[in-house]
Amino acid sequence: MTATPPPAPAPAPVPTRPAPAASVAAIELEHVSRWYGNVVAVNDISFALGPGVTGLLGPNGAGKSTLLHLIAGLLAPSAGQVRLAGRRPFGDPTVYRDVGLVPEREAIQPYLTGHQFALLNAELQGLPDAGAAADRAIATVDLTEAAHRQIRTYSKGMRQRAKLAGALVHEPRILLLDEPFNGMDPRQRLHMMTLLRSMAAAGRVILFSSHILEEVERLAEAVLVVYAGRLAASGDFRSIRRLMTDRPHRFTIRSSDDRRLASALLGQPAVFGAELVDGLLAVHTSDFAAFTRALAGVARDARIRLFEVAPTDDSLESVFSYLVRR
Amino acid sequence: MRALGPLVRVTVQSLLGRRRILLMLLLVALPVLVGLAIRLGGGRADAAVILDTLVIRTVLPLVALVIGGAALGSEIEDGTVVYLLVKPVPRWVVALAKIVVAVGLTLVLTVPPMLVTAVLIGTATGGSLGPSLAFVLAAIAGGAAYASVFTTLGALTTRALVVGLAYTLLWEGVLAGLLEGTRFLSIRQATLGIAAALGGRDPDVASLEPTVSLVVLVLAIASSFVLATVALQRFQVRAGD
Repeated sequence: MTATPPPAPAPAPVPTRPAPAASVAAIELEHVSRWYGNVVAVNDISFALGPGVTGLLGPNGAGKSTLLHLIAGLLAPSAGQVRLAGRRPFGDPTVYRDVGLVPEREAIQPYLTGHQFALLNAELQGLPDAGAAADRAIATVDLTEAAHRQIRTYSKGMRQRAKLAGALVHEPRILLLDEPFNGMDPRQRLHMMTLLRSMAAAGRVILFSSHILEEVERLAEAVLVVYAGRLAASGDFRSIRRLMTDRPHRFTIRSSDDRRLASALLGQPAVFGAELVDGLLAVHTSDFAAFTRALAGVARDARIRLFEVAPTDDSLESVFSYLVRR
Repeated sequence: MRALGPLVRVTVQSLLGRRRILLMLLLVALPVLVGLAIRLGGGRADAAVILDTLVIRTVLPLVALVIGGAALGSEIEDGTVVYLLVKPVPRWVVALAKIVVAVGLTLVLTVPPMLVTAVLIGTATGGSLGPSLAFVLAAIAGGAAYASVFTTLGALTTRALVVGLAYTLLWEGVLAGLLEGTRFLSIRQATLGIAAALGGRDPDVASLEPTVSLVVLVLAIASSFVLATVALQRFQVRAGD
């Protein structure tokens, strides 16, 4: 029996104020590096982003948060230049009229209620009707029922939504989100994705980080892949996905006759190498899909029984590593 | 400046934790209890010395340290300061709000018990209340300086409590009595100088001239504000945050 999750609620009225015409590059980095002593956290990264949803993808510790902090003006670059909404964000608080930030760190003033937190953000933004703006933001993130409870009583997912309410209370042109879906249940995740998509459709610039490929796949139109502090790939998500899928793959196979199977597989165009290692057959292929389709047929034709077939390098880590090497 | 009100409000809320306030109330009750004991014991002539030891040397800096050190320091420590800083609010407004709240709460917590203690001790032997009240007025100025300095300390170091205690106990408690030059960097000595001037007596040997005292306290508050502003302008999240 499979449980069907309740349908995600239609997002509350998303800030409908159209985003002011965004410049071509609302976020621009030129050869930006950041190091701590001898440790390089971000290494010579350049890119420019305009309206739409961009995913910042990379494994934990890749430098995503450092990069977002540099963009948000919470870190000064050791080298290079960051421009946010046309200004250098570090030390220039005026830039935050156009920017909303959801930091990764879970900490959020625990003694405030969700509504008080949104209100504080609205007041600090100098909004003329801060109360109404806070109400709207709370409704947008679907937190109305818990709005008057202290944040210390919130679940992780609710805290994420409260942080998002605070970030979009002034309907910013640029939204920076560091692992925004952490702790959210699937329903909340869907709701947030719909919300962010509609904000992007209204012309806003949304950059969010994630270490989960599927999240980026579902939401982002463009992607920046970061690995070990370097920009491994950037551009349209589908092309990056193709790069990830079409890279060389290595499979280990246990069969009734590894030696004969190796010889049969080498006749396949998708296979460019085979070796016997520690009693197992290791096969190198350049086309994941074609190889997996062909393998069973080749084995059957050669009357060889397959006991085990396992991709050995399919972790996200190895995907990123491959992209960096390219 | 419109942001000052919300910043003050949220800082007050952050500092009014149950445990912190309970600790502060216990601390400020100490001089009152001692004053009561002295009163019941028939009083003592050296009210000023007792007020110096109990209030200016002990309770005032400790309360200012706990309140001031947390006003900005705890938000930097737990990362929530980011929500205040990613706003189009000049950093000096944030620094001002933090210092205003730290000074205000320190004085709210320390002045009433000080007044009660002054009355209990000052009138115990039928003497004039003047010198004791002078101590209270001087302590208001001293408390403002302590709270400002410790608020800034919280912005500059994660060890504000340790550094503040070292300043109060070692610098002011030991060095200021031994090395003459260090007195100019002592809030306690400046506070005693003002108390002596207001009480109509010559400053003690160890304390500073009234004008110098005033300058020291004003400089302490002003430089704290400037330093806190600069610290917030240069604020960067720590690696791993």
